[in-house]
Amino acid sequence: MDLNFTPEELAFRHEVRDWVHQNLPADIAHKVRHALRLSKEDHQRWARILGAKGWLGWGWAKQFGGPGWNGVQKHLFEEELALACAPRVVPFGPVMVAPVIMAFGTPEQQQRFLPGIASGEVWWSQGYSEPGSGSDLASLKCRAERKGDTYVVNGQKTWTTLGQYGDWIFCLVRTSTEGKPQTGISFLLIDMKSPGITVRPIILMDGEHEVNEVWFDNVVVPADNLIGEENKGWTYAKHLLAHERTNIADVNRAKRELERLKRIAKAEGVYDDVRFRDQIALLEVDIVALEMLVLRVLSAEKAGKQSLDIAGLLKIRGSEIQQRYSELMMQAAGPLARAHIFEAMEAGWQGDLAFPGSILPLAGTFFNMRKTTIYGGSNEVQRNIVAQTVLGS
Amino acid sequence: MDFDFTDDQESLRDAVRRWVDKAFGFERRHGLAKAGGHTRAVWGELADLGLAGLVVPEAHGGMGFGAVEAMVVAEELGRGIVNAPYAAAALMAPVLLTEAPAAVQAEWLPAMASGEALVVPALHERASRHRWQRVAVRATPAGTGWVLDGAKCVVPAGDEADAFIVSARHAGGDDAEAGLGLFLVKRADARVVGYATQDGARAADLHLAATPAVLLHAEGAATLARAIDVGSAAVCAEGVGLMDRLVGITVEYMNTRKQFGTTLASFQALRHRIADVKMHLELGRSMSFYATLKLGEPAPQRQRAVAQARVQLGHSLRFVGQQCIQLHGGIGCTDEYVASHCFKRLTMLEMTLGDTLHHLGEVSARMQDTAGVFA
Repeated sequence: MDLNFTPEELAFRHEVRDWVHQNLPADIAHKVRHALRLSKEDHQRWARILGAKGWLGWGWAKQFGGPGWNGVQKHLFEEELALACAPRVVPFGPVMVAPVIMAFGTPEQQQRFLPGIASGEVWWSQGYSEPGSGSDLASLKCRAERKGDTYVVNGQKTWTTLGQYGDWIFCLVRTSTEGKPQTGISFLLIDMKSPGITVRPIILMDGEHEVNEVWFDNVVVPADNLIGEENKGWTYAKHLLAHERTNIADVNRAKRELERLKRIAKAEGVYDDVRFRDQIALLEVDIVALEMLVLRVLSAEKAGKQSLDIAGLLKIRGSEIQQRYSELMMQAAGPLARAHIFEAMEAGWQGDLAFPGSILPLAGTFFNMRKTTIYGGSNEVQRNIVAQTVLGS
Repeated sequence: MDFDFTDDQESLRDAVRRWVDKAFGFERRHGLAKAGGHTRAVWGELADLGLAGLVVPEAHGGMGFGAVEAMVVAEELGRGIVNAPYAAAALMAPVLLTEAPAAVQAEWLPAMASGEALVVPALHERASRHRWQRVAVRATPAGTGWVLDGAKCVVPAGDEADAFIVSARHAGGDDAEAGLGLFLVKRADARVVGYATQDGARAADLHLAATPAVLLHAEGAATLARAIDVGSAAVCAEGVGLMDRLVGITVEYMNTRKQFGTTLASFQALRHRIADVKMHLELGRSMSFYATLKLGEPAPQRQRAVAQARVQLGHSLRFVGQQCIQLHGGIGCTDEYVASHCFKRLTMLEMTLGDTLHHLGEVSARMQDTAGVFA
């Protein structure tokens, strides 16, 4: 038992830290630090900087052009980026679809799609959820019919995060209605510029355009864009879900946001109020405990052991903590948090206010964070999975 | 960074577990608790395994092991619901003796390691609640030695011990750390009033009236703080072992007990509850590791880490204990069923060496701008 990183791991951390310090644009870090609105251009600029260094696909094996880091290195990399206030890398390309293409795609598909993901040139979106298929994802209906060398896709996807920027979308589509729902699903890559695709915004309760509906009306997709075998898509999707479990806990961002919470609490005069301060202390304990849980999972993976049965807990706890810090920040602002000025989410906004503008995004962030216990498999679905593991029945 | 145990540590774990399986089944535990919680015989058996001297230096007849081994043993004794004063006598008392004169160490440590002498800390007083600094017992020089006046409460295994390490004030106000000394008092020199504890162990009040005492350390606050953190880490580990046992029992029950024609395990309300229990168990285990692995840090970091761990363990012990009783239904409330023994011990652990609110106050007071495992 040893809580310390090795000298090599610490040297690695410093290498990443120095690089991020020199390469993360200050204007982007400023927006992240103050939870201001990030533009498409902000995301892409940072993705291309990472891509040029070969770090956008930081979880990738060397054979696919990645750095070939182990779990601890990946964790340290993510931590350094988070603490430096880098934007979260939009995960759909490098973290979600790329591992599926690597594991189940043909060499030709790998050569075709991976370079654009690694460089940050191609923006990917995810097409999983449908209006009738949320937690019960396997009931999805968006249909792909094989016609010669193509599939013709009809149906609707929803909650497509940042789909308004998407160049490509990876979709789970129904290719068969026989047998169990899971066995008739395929994994299809679709060019979002294809005729018949319509993207419509969904405005969330924070007023932001973050997610979309995507409609498919007789969209013709080359059969070459099918990943793996027809009707095996569910297996591939599960591989994807299993791929990034420590990252989903987002404990590194939580540490950064805890620091921000303390700054806000100090500025608003509640840091020395015992009742409020104890709430921060409770959150601090929760975050340290989550970090220890993450480190235990990483340590087990590093030792090449079967991943611990605790990995399923990470999403539940991580999302609860995200909601908690956003709530405490809003509460720290107190009555000021009620003010809502949409433009204040833009960097450089100058308002004539009798209080700091940094208060203004807090309530919106709290509202936005309600999604975290719902997406990626709702926390209730996660509990079903944990219970299955614990009870063995 | 790794959370694996060495082969030697696993062997140690196996040895304790084998003893529990062979010699400390629930029947014996239950019988001992019913008979008043006397466990001096059990202490002798643990000493035969080398556990009484686990952290005592080899030069004094101990095994000279470290914090991780202590944690492993505490987990297993917790799993066994063993009602012996392991943390107090085997872990805290040797720490409290580290600054003692060499002759005192040579007199007591070998006897403690062999189990011949049971020496326990006597720290708690009526007014101190969870603040170990709040000491009213007075120490006064008398001749070449000292005498103590006052009373200590709920001293672990108090009426089974041969000697006590007593915190007593020779200078300074009520809560001051300066002027707090550590003294050794022999059982025969004090008036000891013993009683059972809620969790089937033994404790006593210690009445001191011009009681002769040997000075171990005149300014003992730093040593005392370290001993309390060592004990707190053991509370965490013992709690983890206990929770592990209780969760295992509960899972088995859920898979066999039938109501409405089907097993309890088939009801989603109960499945979600056991998932939450698992969450609390694993967060608790993580923070138990954390507390133990931080024991060697400088005092401010160590104290902050231990307090953080005790807050998590406090929540975990309560949640796991209470929910596992609830998941059992009526049988969980009975004295003759093992779950209630786990639950009562978990409940008492939460109040040992500072409760959750106390430790939350410590975390709150010690907060820095940054936080995290490596902060």
